[in-house]
Amino acid sequence: MRTLVLLLLMLAPAAADAQTLSVRGFGEGEVFWFPQEVPADPTRLIGHFLGRGEVFYKPAPVIQFAGGLDLRANSHDQVEAGWRLDYGDRGAERPRLSVRRLSATYTKSRLTVDGGKQFIRWGKTDIVTPTDRFAPRDFLNVINGEFLAVTAVRAVIQLRDDAFDGVWAPRFTPSRTPLLDQRWSGIPPNAVQVPVDGGATMPTGSQFGIRWSHLGAAAEYSLSYFDGFNHLPLIRSSVDIEAPAVVVTRLYPAIRTYGGDLAAPTPWFTIKGEAAFFESSSNDVPPDERSDDYVLFVAQLERQSGEWTFVGGYAGEIVVRSRSSLPFAPDRGLSHAFLGRAAYTLDPNRSVALEGAVRENGRGVYTRGEYSQAHGQHWRTTVAAAVIGGETDDFLGQYRRNSYMSATLRYSY
Amino acid sequence: MSKRRRLSAAAFLWLPVGVVVSSHVAGGVTAQAADDARTIVEEAQRRTDAKSQRYEGLLQVFDARGRISDKRWTFERLGSHGQSRAVLRFVAPPEVKGVALLVVNHPDRASDQWMWTPAIERDRRIALQDRSTRFFGTDFSFEDLEERDVNQFDYVLAGEEPIDGFVCWKIQSTPRRTKSSQYTRSIVWIRKDTYALARIENYQKDKLVRRLDYSDIQNVQGIWTARRMEMADLTRGSRTRLTLDRLQYNLPLKEEDFTLQAIRRQ
Repeated sequence: MRTLVLLLLMLAPAAADAQTLSVRGFGEGEVFWFPQEVPADPTRLIGHFLGRGEVFYKPAPVIQFAGGLDLRANSHDQVEAGWRLDYGDRGAERPRLSVRRLSATYTKSRLTVDGGKQFIRWGKTDIVTPTDRFAPRDFLNVINGEFLAVTAVRAVIQLRDDAFDGVWAPRFTPSRTPLLDQRWSGIPPNAVQVPVDGGATMPTGSQFGIRWSHLGAAAEYSLSYFDGFNHLPLIRSSVDIEAPAVVVTRLYPAIRTYGGDLAAPTPWFTIKGEAAFFESSSNDVPPDERSDDYVLFVAQLERQSGEWTFVGGYAGEIVVRSRSSLPFAPDRGLSHAFLGRAAYTLDPNRSVALEGAVRENGRGVYTRGEYSQAHGQHWRTTVAAAVIGGETDDFLGQYRRNSYMSATLRYSY
Repeated sequence: MSKRRRLSAAAFLWLPVGVVVSSHVAGGVTAQAADDARTIVEEAQRRTDAKSQRYEGLLQVFDARGRISDKRWTFERLGSHGQSRAVLRFVAPPEVKGVALLVVNHPDRASDQWMWTPAIERDRRIALQDRSTRFFGTDFSFEDLEERDVNQFDYVLAGEEPIDGFVCWKIQSTPRRTKSSQYTRSIVWIRKDTYALARIENYQKDKLVRRLDYSDIQNVQGIWTARRMEMADLTRGSRTRLTLDRLQYNLPLKEEDFTLQAIRRQ
């Protein structure tokens, strides 16, 4: 971090003519109301605050710096109590003050190199993106997870219609999983005791990925390869006889993925498809510490018409080899499901949206409606309601008591 | 490639001008009139030839009840006449700051367009069939943001008419079979004194759906340019006014700033 700041200061006076500075951010207050209690978590009203500031500074045409900070508060212990500046996003709770991004970008001709904490999105589809291997998320709220940045070096060579993308991530960033004593943990209602969080075993190795993409007149498509760790954990439980308590720990299995995506516009819809084969790459650990081998795929249709935007599709999964592991996997949990979203723009300041997912066996359903309105140049209010239903043994159904209403007030600057 | 045959109707400003006349309208018009119309359009575009362009734009959206929504963007274009690349990036209001649109124009087919949305850190290709939708709540559609090659249209001179006191050629055009457009025909008024655009009316079948008026026409670095444009969506009863500020032509811009990688830089 110190090196970046020094670099920035050194370059600042060198090219004053080309300097550009851009600042943006927001402060947001959000209230969730859950009509139903869950045994592990009787709290039904939760308030949350997020303040975000981001700075983009271009001291010279070939280089740019990006930095961002998040400040959080929460009424339900979803934010760490102590004050510290967090960089790694590895804590079970959200950090009170954290580095959202901190990166430098070097551009020369066809080459772009990004180094530092940054967002990397490879996926083309919506809701489920099998090839997004450098895109962990915050799943404290499972159906409303925000993406987290990763620490990596990324180099992209952009030729005329082809791009070659290489990513090396020396430090692993996991997805944040639901807190065990809160409603999104999915603890069964008949559980005798809420498990104790035994922490996580973080992988120490680096991760690597490459992607080739082609922009054609009729379609754009890509192929990708990833060798690293799944940012979604496997769950291991053990019994602490002395406590006594069930202790739950998280570990992140080594995987390789081979993926591809396609977007092809037709006269009626844009067809998008994305698929990846996930393969365990750790042979020297017990089966319950290894990932399943499986294919995750999504096919969707997209269309804008007038003020309407429609996205609809199907997410599927083919398990090639099942092991005795217990994954926390929202992406697989949303497979074997029909997914959809419709949005309508009422006017330049107001919009409504409806999205949903229905498991093909009917055992889980999720739907969420939203109304959003801007007030002037800075303020926006959003009210939403989500309904979740289904059976306890279904990924969506296990959250059937987590239907909610929410109201958000945001000030952007 | 003949440069004159690659001229784009949009090159007057970057905003597109799908100047079009339907063939059935042109049915009774002589070949000489058609040639004259094409010559006028080509000359108008020749006079707007520039290697690059940059401006800061203020967008004011007025809905049917007169309420205003303001947006600001910066616009840069490299190249012209159907072979250009352009990047449009919003700088206000704050909640859309950083949203960017990359337009890659082609002389022989519709442009390619991608939108970068920083809130989700993703780009999305704007499909051809989606080009008729409104661009970010304005009265411009995505198609209205692309340049078009003169050879993708047939032109007919339909007479002369004054606009704001200036005598104009009135030219109609229709897209050729190879051209994909939401508009079945358009009528464009070109001022006889400066060859600057004065008005465009876009039709779907026989219904007038959008009207673009050009005003505050000034000579900027030798190019007659409208500093204000107002697009009216006659179906919705709304209109969007675009005012150009800090307009420059032929400034040094780099090709690598007009790529997908470039628009994801904030």
